[in-house]
Amino acid sequence: MSAASVEGAPLLSVRNLKVHLRVGGTVVRAVDGVDLSVDQGESIGIVGESGSGKSTLARAVLKLLPNVEIAAYQGEVNFRGLDLARISDPALRDLRRHHGFSMIFQDPLGYLNPTKRVGTQVAEAIGGNSSASIGDRVQQLLAEAGLPSPMQLARRFPHELSGGMRQRVMIAIALASEPALLFADEPTTALDATVQLQVLETLRRLHRDRKMAMAIISHDLGVVAELCDRVYVMRDGKVLESGDTVEVFENPKHPYAAQLIELSTRHRRHAAAVGSKAAP
Amino acid sequence: MLRFILFRLLHAIPLLVAVIFVILLMLQLIPGDPVQAMVGDFPVSPEFRAAITQQYHLDDSFPVRVYSYFVNLLHGDFGYSYQFQKPVLDLIVETAPRTILLTLVGFLIAIPVGVLIGIITGTTRNKRVDHFWTSFALVAYGIPTFWFGQLLVLVLAVHLGWFPTQGMGPLVSRAHGFSWFVERAHYIALPALAFAVHEGTRFARIMRASVADTLGQGYIITARAKGLTRWAIIRGHVLRNSSLPLITVAGYVLGSALGGAVLLETVFTWPGLGLLLVQAVRMRDNMTVVGIAIFAALAVIVINLLVDLLYAAIDPRIRSGS
Amino acid sequence: MSGAAAIEPPSAEPAPLARAWRSFRTIAGKVVRTRHGAAGCAILLVLALVAAFAPLIAPYAPLQQARASLAPPSLENLFGTDNTGRDIFSLLIYGARTSLAIGLGAALGALMVGGAVGMLAGYFRGIVESILMRVVELFQTLPVIVLVLFTVALFGSSFWLLLVAVILAIWPLQARLVYGQYLRLRGMDFVAAARVADLSTAHIMFREILPSAIEPVIVQVALDASVAILIEAGLGFLGLSDPNMVSWGQILHVAQDYMTVAWWTSLFPGAAICLAVVGLNLFADGLNEVIDPRMRGRLAGLQS
Repeated sequence: MSAASVEGAPLLSVRNLKVHLRVGGTVVRAVDGVDLSVDQGESIGIVGESGSGKSTLARAVLKLLPNVEIAAYQGEVNFRGLDLARISDPALRDLRRHHGFSMIFQDPLGYLNPTKRVGTQVAEAIGGNSSASIGDRVQQLLAEAGLPSPMQLARRFPHELSGGMRQRVMIAIALASEPALLFADEPTTALDATVQLQVLETLRRLHRDRKMAMAIISHDLGVVAELCDRVYVMRDGKVLESGDTVEVFENPKHPYAAQLIELSTRHRRHAAAVGSKAAP
Repeated sequence: MLRFILFRLLHAIPLLVAVIFVILLMLQLIPGDPVQAMVGDFPVSPEFRAAITQQYHLDDSFPVRVYSYFVNLLHGDFGYSYQFQKPVLDLIVETAPRTILLTLVGFLIAIPVGVLIGIITGTTRNKRVDHFWTSFALVAYGIPTFWFGQLLVLVLAVHLGWFPTQGMGPLVSRAHGFSWFVERAHYIALPALAFAVHEGTRFARIMRASVADTLGQGYIITARAKGLTRWAIIRGHVLRNSSLPLITVAGYVLGSALGGAVLLETVFTWPGLGLLLVQAVRMRDNMTVVGIAIFAALAVIVINLLVDLLYAAIDPRIRSGS
Repeated sequence: MSGAAAIEPPSAEPAPLARAWRSFRTIAGKVVRTRHGAAGCAILLVLALVAAFAPLIAPYAPLQQARASLAPPSLENLFGTDNTGRDIFSLLIYGARTSLAIGLGAALGALMVGGAVGMLAGYFRGIVESILMRVVELFQTLPVIVLVLFTVALFGSSFWLLLVAVILAIWPLQARLVYGQYLRLRGMDFVAAARVADLSTAHIMFREILPSAIEPVIVQVALDASVAILIEAGLGFLGLSDPNMVSWGQILHVAQDYMTVAWWTSLFPGAAICLAVVGLNLFADGLNEVIDPRMRGRLAGLQS
């Protein structure tokens, strides 16, 4: 199935990735020479402002770009010894279905099919086998994602659920393939403050219990600080600084990174001060 | 769901009443002799004139006439056609099923073909395929149905003799069982084909746009992330979600099929409601014309209702009234 | 990547007419660059020229009986003759005038009626909206051909009556479109700013909102024109259009009876109708491609 992983080699290794997209008449260098790695069971964060390319990076790595015209796609994306840029479609699908990688997205309402029941959409990610065992597995996954009464919930439609519950459904879908690596694109950005904390806690629990590697993309440095061992700071498609999260956040070397962290800290102090008034 | 149905019904009935009212109002505006307008190109004797005037309250005020017409309608009385010497309702009941048959057979061809072309062009990554079929559909859609019908008759019926040139069946049919069915198919083939080409290309264009829209949605990316095959994504996500605009348009086409049928039925002398309408217009048989107009409006309203129900069945968000 | 488009430096506000002309030229330029738009424009140009210079192009006066009736295509009668001996080629050329007149006339009429209704309903909302949109719905309930035939049956079929009948049948679509546009645009910032600046309602509706709303409306005008031409041709085919005017559809009416012996009476007029309709549809498609905002939002999903 998948190539045997070499002891000590990173799970995911990205080298000099360049992704240039053609939009309108111009070429946008969304990802412009990025090096990145994720070890087994490690959790990294990718931070930056809007337009820094962090989201494009994640999607480009997992080959989940939307229908944009790709002007250039160069570099090496190595997952457990396989070059994702060059493997066949069936092999890629296989990785997405079994013990490979999964992704959850920022907008669970848009990323869930509004005309299908939630349980069906989770079941789709499981695939194969008899319907009885699938039903059980669906409930198991929904429960693991932190959802109450999974049996009733499976019959609901996405628009009937709250934002936080929808995000958990996405998590359940992502867990179905027992991934070694989970990408999360702005997992809490669209949620209310208290719900954010709960979902973060769920992600932390899953990271710990499943020993699953995670890559969290966020413009919210607080989220990354909570969850990630290492962090990459991006701007204009390039990585400006990377390293141990605590190290980078306390002693940023690159001036832009320093600015970003400073603004974020200030913002969070302000939010905390105001936060007591903005009760959920 | 029940509340949804009730609500739509409550909306539909006043609409129908309003349409009928407007139609009757227009009937009022006809210049000239109201009795002649009612009766058509038909000589009237004085006694007859008096009888008509009394029966249809032509001497009374407009509200009274409207009221009496509505009362008659509720009793199933759409008026009487002096040209055809039959109650209008009988004429409608006789001819409508033939138009419905033609329309349904046409749909049976148009929808699958249109959906197929729409999906292929919408999901293909091959630009040339997409461009070719899109341009083809656009041009084919511009061909007037009645001219296309004439061409079909010219080539396939007159020149090649493979199909009959007109009508629903031979003057005297002695076919039974299966051969009867084949004979029917033989006669309906050309008109249904003419109908299907026009509507099929319309459906293909709608479907293509809808598919393109759906493919841009986030849940398609989720589906890809799950490791589903292209075909599984199309079958499981694209088809259902793209079908909503198609249903609306198909409903519209079905409801106004009477319109298209008018021209087609004239080309093929298909004895349906459309042909009846044309004949009635030519003979100035306004009672029949009004009756058909009301029937057409009724058909549109009923079909719109069904479309709304189908929509609600497919898209759960509409059911919850969000 | 700083994704936002560069903001243009403020300049002296040019007169609205000059602005309109400039945006017209840019859009026209783009449309002609699309495959469909170019083809459509070419066809329409040819038709317009033919209609304009009909007396110079047509070999015979349309009602003149050239030779034997039902003569097949020949050097003297390029497309043959009809049952009264009139040259079909000349009939087609003069018929272009009728078709373009009805097409343009009905489309513009529908624009005025539908545009007014949609504008009022979309901007003022409330009871005005309720009443007007109910009226729109009312007219949409009758199938187009039925409405037109009905009107013709009751009132006759001179050119102007025909025009009114077609306008009555097609205005609801334009009304809905304009309504949707005004509904969407009235809530935007530039409208609020105009209100704060105490500009008159008429000014807001025509000078502020209209330029932003107009693009899909023009597409609909082109589509309306093609539908109008089809309806008129259909009526001619049924023998119910204005007998004093040369109409492509009318020739097809003749063809219906003589199809077995004179195929040219069917082929050429139909092709002319087809050409006009396809030309308008191609143009509408090209224009649509240029103004479709979906294209611009493509990168939105990747913005972070």
